Amino acid sequence: MSRDLDQLGAEYEALIQFLYLAPVGLVQADSHGEIAMMNPISAQLLMPLSRDGSLDNLFTALQDVAPELRVLCDTFGAPSGKVCDGMHVHLNAGGIAGSAKRVPQILSITLLKLDATRLMAVISDVTEQVRRERQLRQSDAWLNAILTGITDYALVSIDWQGRICEWNPSIERVTGHGPDIVGQPFSVFYAPDAIIPEHLFDRLREADSNGWTLDEGRRLRADGSAFWGSVLIAPLPDREPLPGEDPGPAYCLILRDISDKREASERRRRETFADYLTGLANRRAFFEAAEQELLRSQALPRPTAVVVIDADHFKAINDRHGHPGGDAVLQHLAAILTSTFREVDVVARIGGEEFAVLLPSTDLARAAVVAERLRAAVASQNAIIDGLAVRFTVSAGVAASIDGSGGVDLLLKQADQALYAAKRAGRNRVERWRPELVSCTTHDHAHHPGEDADAA
Amino acid sequence: MTNPTITFGMPDLAARLDSCRPEELDSLDFGVIGFDADTNVDLYNAFESQAAGLSQQRVVGQPLFTNVAPCLNNFMVAQRFEDAQDDGSTLDDTIDYVLTLRMRPVKVALRLLASPGGAHRYVLVQRQPR
Repeated sequence: MSRDLDQLGAEYEALIQFLYLAPVGLVQADSHGEIAMMNPISAQLLMPLSRDGSLDNLFTALQDVAPELRVLCDTFGAPSGKVCDGMHVHLNAGGIAGSAKRVPQILSITLLKLDATRLMAVISDVTEQVRRERQLRQSDAWLNAILTGITDYALVSIDWQGRICEWNPSIERVTGHGPDIVGQPFSVFYAPDAIIPEHLFDRLREADSNGWTLDEGRRLRADGSAFWGSVLIAPLPDREPLPGEDPGPAYCLILRDISDKREASERRRRETFADYLTGLANRRAFFEAAEQELLRSQALPRPTAVVVIDADHFKAINDRHGHPGGDAVLQHLAAILTSTFREVDVVARIGGEEFAVLLPSTDLARAAVVAERLRAAVASQNAIIDGLAVRFTVSAGVAASIDGSGGVDLLLKQADQALYAAKRAGRNRVERWRPELVSCTTHDHAHHPGEDADAA
Repeated sequence: MTNPTITFGMPDLAARLDSCRPEELDSLDFGVIGFDADTNVDLYNAFESQAAGLSQQRVVGQPLFTNVAPCLNNFMVAQRFEDAQDDGSTLDDTIDYVLTLRMRPVKVALRLLASPGGAHRYVLVQRQPR
């Protein structure tokens, strides 16, 4: 018997403590508001409002801040039900004037009529919650202003896979795309050969690790017309989908039409990264692009190819037509290179008459096919020097890395070994790198580009 | 059996309580809650335990204003102790308050005691005739 009583006592105490510590105010009162039971949080929140220091009556305690409560209850017709649900009550200045400490400013009150004689109230401090909601509304308004008020930005939310989640008018304004763009990858803004699926993921991964990623270049509108655009991608906060929930927006993409700034940025790019004679990428641009691409291909394994191209007997052309003639041949070759390779490939002049092309996501065989197409194109089209048609040929060496390991130096060295083999085999040829070529001596890029191989 | 020499309203009460043995605190006819500089309860006498329906074991060691008496966690009580601690000043004030003892609102007088050199800070609780 005493055991049972002890047990009951312990349970009672646990229940009491549960109510003492409940983090919301709970009050039970009669239909006139006379308080029968209440927990400590109720006293914590209501005591500062009480005029006479008592908490005998709920309506009296709240009369200064929620005078309508008594009337609401009196006029509530149903035998039971919610008299009010989460009603916000704004307190006056609240607490000690000038106190830096946080004091409740807004209470939420839910009043439940249990029956003709009993009321139950839930009271909680929602000051912080209301403040957060207000901030959220402000950011919403801010975003809205951007979406509707600014003409040269498109704000696009994209998911984990880089697919466009939602359509809004800013997308249409900048790109002309309608709501049917939803679900497409953001590469839809790029020319078909200007971005490969792997690059799409590279950008997202870059945004993950750096907090943002930005690129600039030719972009396409829905009607196929081109503009000069910059694309900024940043990961969104709180983007982990809840279990069972569809993954929503994971990144924010901002597409800007900067056509009017293109000239300045193009000039800057040309000065830093372009070869003065041919307009192709220069050595620096090639090495930077290759290093970046190989690094990326280690994260998301895929092959990367390099084709090294050298004009055959270029010394003879120079001797016969002079340097201006030689330059014209190089420009002619540069034009064929540009039209042969994709926009995503990096075509560079890395030496006097030596060119290199970086082909992302391309294996040895595919790169060799393109190189062969180039060789054939050069052999079949005459360059014009001083009104004279000049026929010349190129040799090419192709190498590829399966997963980015070895770096750009090794890849370029192997392509050079293949090029040397093509030269030795009679020129106007394409050779693929193979392990037997390792023993072949080649020229050294850093010091004697091109010429040596030709002379060998 | 109550202790006649210590009363709720007497002067210098904090120093007297500091030197009391636990049995002496338990014999008082008002509630004694003592707490340390981190607001953890270190004294909880029998009177208060009986009134609140909580045993000492459930209360001692717990933070007063969040886990024992959240009803006191406002500018009227908790803030006063915080301010006194920040200023290094002495607090000795008696206020009317309502405690929710066993969920019943009970009018009480609270005496708030804190001094920079004191061993404990105190909230003392005396029931008022209704």
